[in-house]
Amino acid sequence: MKTIEEINQKIRDGDAVVVTASEMTRIVQENGAEEAAKEVDVVTTGTFGAMCSSGAFFNFGHSDPPIKMSHTYLNGVEAYSGLAAVDAYLGATQPHRNPDIGLDYGGAHLLEDLVRGKEIELVAEAYGTDCYPRTEVHTFISLESLNQAIMVNPRNCYQNYAAATNSTEETIYTYLGTLLPQMGNVGYSSAGELSPLLNDPYFQTIGVGTRIFLCGSQGYILGEGTQHATDGERENGVPVGSAGTLMLQGDLKKMDAKFLRGATMPKYGPTLYVGAGIPIPILNEEIAQRTGISDQDIHCNIYDYGVPRRSRPAVMETNYQELRSGKIEINGREVQTSPLSSLKKALEVAQELKSWIEKGNFFLTNPVQNIPNKGCTVKPLQIRRPSILVKDLKIKPVITARAEDDISGVARKMVDDNINHVPVVDHAGRLMGIVTSWDIAHAVAQDSKKLTEVMTKKVIVAMEDEPVELIARRIDKHEISGVPIVNRENRVRGMITAEDISRLICSQNNKEGDSQ
Amino acid sequence: MKAWLNFSPSIVSKTVISDLIKHYDVSFNILRADITPKGGKMLIDISGSEAEKGIQYLEKEGIQLNPIKKVVKKDEEKCMDCGECVSLCPVEAITIDEEWTVHLDDQKCIGCGFCTSSCPTKAIKIAD
Ligand code: SF4
Ligand code: SF4
Repeated sequence: MKTIEEINQKIRDGDAVVVTASEMTRIVQENGAEEAAKEVDVVTTGTFGAMCSSGAFFNFGHSDPPIKMSHTYLNGVEAYSGLAAVDAYLGATQPHRNPDIGLDYGGAHLLEDLVRGKEIELVAEAYGTDCYPRTEVHTFISLESLNQAIMVNPRNCYQNYAAATNSTEETIYTYLGTLLPQMGNVGYSSAGELSPLLNDPYFQTIGVGTRIFLCGSQGYILGEGTQHATDGERENGVPVGSAGTLMLQGDLKKMDAKFLRGATMPKYGPTLYVGAGIPIPILNEEIAQRTGISDQDIHCNIYDYGVPRRSRPAVMETNYQELRSGKIEINGREVQTSPLSSLKKALEVAQELKSWIEKGNFFLTNPVQNIPNKGCTVKPLQIRRPSILVKDLKIKPVITARAEDDISGVARKMVDDNINHVPVVDHAGRLMGIVTSWDIAHAVAQDSKKLTEVMTKKVIVAMEDEPVELIARRIDKHEISGVPIVNRENRVRGMITAEDISRLICSQNNKEGDSQ
Repeated sequence: MKAWLNFSPSIVSKTVISDLIKHYDVSFNILRADITPKGGKMLIDISGSEAEKGIQYLEKEGIQLNPIKKVVKKDEEKCMDCGECVSLCPVEAITIDEEWTVHLDDQKCIGCGFCTSSCPTKAIKIAD
């Protein structure tokens, strides 16, 4: 059993044994976890993949006269500036504001240009206040001129991830790359046995405040990332799906463009390739065992991205050894695989971090707090469109009959106005019952004269302030073709029929189609 | 050798290709074809002991032959070895080596352009 303090002392003395996660896998295979735990002090992990949920906070400094920026554009890419006066957050996937450039240059490209030391055009607009009178800014900035440029990535380092294929007849363009028709290829994105959170699947050492390698600089883990999930299916202790995530922070000013690249997934959009590496202190045998995980032991599912729904059908299960071999058999046919995240760079990250520790330039940290390893699930977004109420409908003026009206008169009304239902009301217009053409025919056949004898007294109604969906369900449930609409005083205001409702649904769908 | 064969309309209806294979010791692979009654082009890979003679025969029959030289170029600075392009190449001209470096073999490449349009950093360019 070791402690972080002991390992740090070894690092200080230049005695720490540091290996990459791939090397550790071989060591555990050959010598067993017990030996490995004694022998090895730190395992370095690494990943270099497209991490869309990335970005950076900037502070531009105050101009004279000062401005309170409300719209901010960096090389034409909008940053969110609803934060005080001269702060902004630029997201990696934000496309260029000029639609002709659009996806070809976005937030991710801007971040890379900044790190490369390039000059960046800053355009800002403001509404002007007494204390911030300036309403526009057009100037140039660079990474150096910014007061702060702090990378904060809300969701990085997915523990594992799905692999993708496409069963349709057409090529599709996804965040897992270009997918050929008829399951012609497979895209996957995890760095497998090198990947940080697959080497510490229960967050035993990785926690809030953990010092990490982030794009060539020393960064920190702020905590679990958005969509952090812990309770999904596991095999060999590691999740088979996306599962855990991390929120990361680092200083853009210290980063190296070698480990941070702006990219565009064709017809999908900009994304940032982030190089992240996390050191795992080998405190005991169990941790050693977990870092010994191999590509073969890490499973994932290949999903059909040809189905554009939240739950896509799984085509088959595979593991990273198969995926990394470059070819995989789907339905008896061999297809090629694309890694999407650079395994070469992932290894470079792990090696770089290893050399920092060996040289005594990087020390390990105790977590300030643990990251949850159970009880976290991701809820889907429920789409609730605002309900349309009965009173919002355009309703034709209603034709009613009085209780004392004679039947032949009512029959004539029905024929003349081509209607099938007539609500029966009292002198104040209050609903008493309803007659249908069938009731009338029945009455004529039986020679009855009084409306009140043939009408249905227990009337199913729609209240004015009920949502239309509810009425649709009611009409359906009672197998009727329409119901009278009444107000709170039970006065009849109109009729609503199944036909009115289906017309409403059609027009709504058309409207939605237009806005897509 | 890889080459584009350009057919004029008068040749499309003739059995030039099958005659070539019948009469010469060549192995012949059609990589791409785009032939209409108005003529067309076909990308072929031709090899074998009588490849030269075969080519002469094709030219004699009126097929214009344009050998392919370098068609794609990968900018090693821009390439980040992500491997996205690998599975898209129909002729396996793009491979990943032991160290996970991505290589493009322009001898094998047929210039289809799949990799150029899919590369996230636009590292591959077609150069005719
Ligand atoms: S897709 Fe582009 S960046 Fe990725 S390996 Fe191919 S050439 Fe390199
Ligand atoms: S252009 Fe086509 S054939 Fe050539 S390397 Fe790219 S994908 Fe392969």
